[in-house]
Amino acid sequence: MNRYFRCGVLGLVAGLASGALLAATLNHWGLGLLLGMLLGVGYALAFHSVPHAYLDSVLTAAALGVPLWGLISVIMLPLFVGEVPQWTGTGMRALFPMLVGWVLYGAGLGLIFQALSDVALRWLGPDLVATPVRPVIATQIVILGGGFAGVTTAARLEHEFGADPSVTFTLVSDTNALLFTPMLAEVAASSLEPTHISSPLRTTLHRTTVVRGSVAAIDLEQRRIVIAPDDYAPGGRELRFDHLVLALGSVSNYLGLTQVQEEAFDFKSLADAIRIRNHVIDMFDRADQEPEPAIRRSLLRFVVAGGGFAGAELAGGLNDFARGMLAYYPHIPPEELQIILVHSRDRILPELSLPLATYARERMAARGVTFKLNTRVAGARRGVVVLKPAEEILTETLVWTAGTMPSPLIQALPVERDARGGMRVDHTLAVPGHAGVWALGDCAAVTDAKLGTACPPTAQFALREAATVAYNIRATLQGRPLKPFHFAALGVLCVVGHHTACAELNVPFVHGRSLRFSGLLAWLMWRAIYLSKLPGLERKVRVLVDWLIELFFPRDIVQTIDVGDARVRVVVDPHASTPPAS
Amino acid sequence: MSSTRTTELLVGGGAGCLGGIVYLALGLGSFSSGVLLGSLYGLVFALLGASRAVSPGAGLLWSLGYAFLLWLAGPAGLFPLLTSVHAMGMLDTARSHFPELIGYVLCFGLPLGLALGMHASMRQGTTNSQNPFSLPRALVVGGLAGIVGGWAFGKWMEQINFFLIIAGLVGSTSRAVGMALHYAIAIVIGISFGFLFQRDLRGLGSSLVWGMAYGLFWWFLGPLTLLPLFQGRALDWSYERGGALFGSLVGHIIYGLIVGLIYAAVDRLWIGFFVESDPINREVEGPGTTTVRSLGWGAAASVGGSLLFSLVMAATGTLPQIAHLMGGTSAATGFLVHLVIGAVIGMSYGVLFRYEAPNVGSGIAWGLVYGLVWWFVGRLTLLPILLGGTFTWTTAAAGAALPSLIGHLIYGAATATAFLLLERRHTAWLLLDPRIAAREARRRRPVGTPAPALWLFTLGLGVLLPVMLG
Ligand SMILES: Cc1cc2nc3c(=O)[nH]c(=O)nc-3n(C[C@H](O)[C@H](O)[C@H](O)COP(=O)(O)OP(=O)(O)OC[C@H]3O[C@@H](n4cnc5c(N)ncnc54)[C@H](O)[C@@H]3O)c2cc1C
Repeated sequence: MNRYFRCGVLGLVAGLASGALLAATLNHWGLGLLLGMLLGVGYALAFHSVPHAYLDSVLTAAALGVPLWGLISVIMLPLFVGEVPQWTGTGMRALFPMLVGWVLYGAGLGLIFQALSDVALRWLGPDLVATPVRPVIATQIVILGGGFAGVTTAARLEHEFGADPSVTFTLVSDTNALLFTPMLAEVAASSLEPTHISSPLRTTLHRTTVVRGSVAAIDLEQRRIVIAPDDYAPGGRELRFDHLVLALGSVSNYLGLTQVQEEAFDFKSLADAIRIRNHVIDMFDRADQEPEPAIRRSLLRFVVAGGGFAGAELAGGLNDFARGMLAYYPHIPPEELQIILVHSRDRILPELSLPLATYARERMAARGVTFKLNTRVAGARRGVVVLKPAEEILTETLVWTAGTMPSPLIQALPVERDARGGMRVDHTLAVPGHAGVWALGDCAAVTDAKLGTACPPTAQFALREAATVAYNIRATLQGRPLKPFHFAALGVLCVVGHHTACAELNVPFVHGRSLRFSGLLAWLMWRAIYLSKLPGLERKVRVLVDWLIELFFPRDIVQTIDVGDARVRVVVDPHASTPPAS
Repeated sequence: MSSTRTTELLVGGGAGCLGGIVYLALGLGSFSSGVLLGSLYGLVFALLGASRAVSPGAGLLWSLGYAFLLWLAGPAGLFPLLTSVHAMGMLDTARSHFPELIGYVLCFGLPLGLALGMHASMRQGTTNSQNPFSLPRALVVGGLAGIVGGWAFGKWMEQINFFLIIAGLVGSTSRAVGMALHYAIAIVIGISFGFLFQRDLRGLGSSLVWGMAYGLFWWFLGPLTLLPLFQGRALDWSYERGGALFGSLVGHIIYGLIVGLIYAAVDRLWIGFFVESDPINREVEGPGTTTVRSLGWGAAASVGGSLLFSLVMAATGTLPQIAHLMGGTSAATGFLVHLVIGAVIGMSYGVLFRYEAPNVGSGIAWGLVYGLVWWFVGRLTLLPILLGGTFTWTTAAAGAALPSLIGHLIYGAATATAFLLLERRHTAWLLLDPRIAAREARRRRPVGTPAPALWLFTLGLGVLLPVMLG
């Protein structure tokens, strides 16, 4: 017998029996018995009955009699007959007999319900609910990519499906944490600790299986994923899927400049940021001991290619970090330090309106950044960066932020792509022609269903796309209509130096109108907004503490050493015979 | 029948019989309604409650709830009906049977629970490996809690010069002596709280209610009983005397609440610092995350309860009064202030009670008691202070605030229910993982703790006394 049904029936009978007391109290048989039964059922369903807990049951139900008296006898019954509630001292005193009646009704209910439950337990056996049935896994959802798009999709799926045990979620990622890229420049500039801006996937997600590995191939026909061989699974692994979410993000696009690719630092991952920071400290240490001014200058010249958000934020951050470090390097003349931002157009930060972009450039220049506009990086050799229009810069440091393209895995798939190489999806973010395959984030070419415009490859959009994908996967499984993707961008924020930022926030519901902020206010807004966006309370606290520490102490110039794995790996063949002892 | 069972019945019956003799000696009943009935009460309690009275503290609370129910059923309810002098439970009857209430609590409640609880702990031996008793913790934490509780209670005593009465106990007329004695008593009661309840205390919320029940109990034992005995006066257990000591009742409740809260807070700190901060014992989510989440859920859960409560306020026209807190006068301002207060109290509910309720029913019960707590703390104490006056703990002031009492109960029940639903929604999928399920189960309040007795004793007396003594 269904547990709730059994409980309900026992509660009903117990309520009816003890309802006699209530009826006597209320002086109305029908009402008393009816209330008695209703409350009896409610009591039975609200508390789990435990065998032989007579005292517990009697006292609990009696205790609930007190508020029921207040609610029903003092307020509801007078209201029911059109009188005011009897909640004054005199009124309640006059209703005192009913309080006694309610408490005794409760005690009776508890007693009889307990007795009936014990009898039922004896004659009918235990409730049926106790044996959990092993759920049948009907749907396997696999998400590729542990960035904003992938992790948010997994989190939203967990939310959408709740405790539904018939679906499983698997997230494949080659990193074990979600990197909060907006704060990456601050790591390179030694303002934040590297791990503080990464949230471990295993603490962020709750019921998603996290598979650490690099995806080697995606077979949309056979519906399987191949994970590249690694130390722990030398033969590689395979995953099957019913629904696949592609969120593999993007990689740097060197536009075919292979030499540049060899010489330049990437600026996409946490390792990249740590590498850049270490390298800058290295350059300072070397320059401090370098007697030859020309060499010193080339060591102290840092070139950033690309004046978009990532490039401008990095150049601004490095400028602050490097100029702050000068204090500890007495042999380095400050005028020899140079941070150069190379940008192919006549203005940096094309995502911002012209006045703000100009403000950013002027402030950065005032703080010491040199600009080379209408200029491209055309090549590189060891110690030299070649620009176009023709110029050679002697430097040991080039960071590339001048272009990205969707993950190479996407390029290998038999799907439609846009000019950037992003995978085309329909308005519901499904990949056309492949049922159950979805794509979003930097690796997809998403068009806003309402505005018809292309969605930019930013975290802001990736988060909203993830919510739509999660909703649509559930809707597909339940046969409900899917939701088209629409999101009105909130605006853009960019920080280019200490107390120096630009913010352009769109006015809600008014298309094309935005509010502009710059300087300290925008800087505070940047910190407040991104801190609130940083996933996880713990990370927020850590970052906040880092920022507070920076108010009182200088930025850290300890090098993070790349220790690697120094063990000598000996592959033991279990089938080989033991060599004879010499 | 096993020998343990027989001994339990003997202990219960014996304690009931002894209580009955005292009851008889105090002139509260005859041989049959005192001694015979007392023995019967003891036997029934031993039968039903022996498995629950595992320690003197647990036993005491179970038997206090039991004694209160017996009083309502007997002297206040059915006896008058049986002797057909009055209709069942008429107001005057109840008032005239107020002495029996005290008698039931002190002559039956006190000895029954303590005796059975002591018997149980002697049988089990003093070591309980799962939850070992720590004497220094009871002394230090209980004493500390007692001092803070005593300070709050002392505020009221100052108001009515009660310190002089206490000083009179040792034949002095000095205020300072009275105050010192008051603090000494407060510390001793705080320590006894630690002694009695250390093993049962889990969360902050339940500990708060434990404290409230203990405070109520001490009101019966202290000012109504021991004080006149020490002063060499005859016992006066009339309801008029109870009404005159209403301020002391609220003081005892507030004292108890503070003792309970501080005791549990220091305890939690202790456990947090020495046990839970150990990486080996870490939970999946740190206390920081769970606390912030409980705060959020509590605020969200409070909305429904606050709206219902505001109906009561609108009907009694008290919203403008609440607006005064922010310097406003309109009902709309009052409503907003009320929502904010509701949210803050909801947040505190979330933090205090998050692991207390294994099912909807107990969630509602804790919520009701928490609502009641805020009637005493908020409506009777803080509100008058925040409105710029001082609090008056009199039956008249309480009588005027009775509609709000019902509002508080409704608020508490609604908030607790909503909180539980939010909490369930979150944990349902966490529980798919058997390891998390096991951890959660360990943190939940198990069956058999005296929570039901607490609910009845605090809700029953907390509502009944202001109505009856007014
Ligand atoms: C320096 C910087 C600053 C930025 N600042 C902002 C900003 O302020 N605001 C904003 O909105 N956007 C910002 N962005 C853009 C934003 O980071 C991206 O739009 C966003 O990360 C896209 O999310 P995604 O999940 O699609 O891709 P990604 O975040 O790149 O995630 C892709 C994931 O897939 C994993 N992956 C890739 N290939 C494989 C494989 N073969 N096998 C397994 N796993 C794989 C990667 O490790 C990565 O975890 C910034 C980007 C950078 C680099």
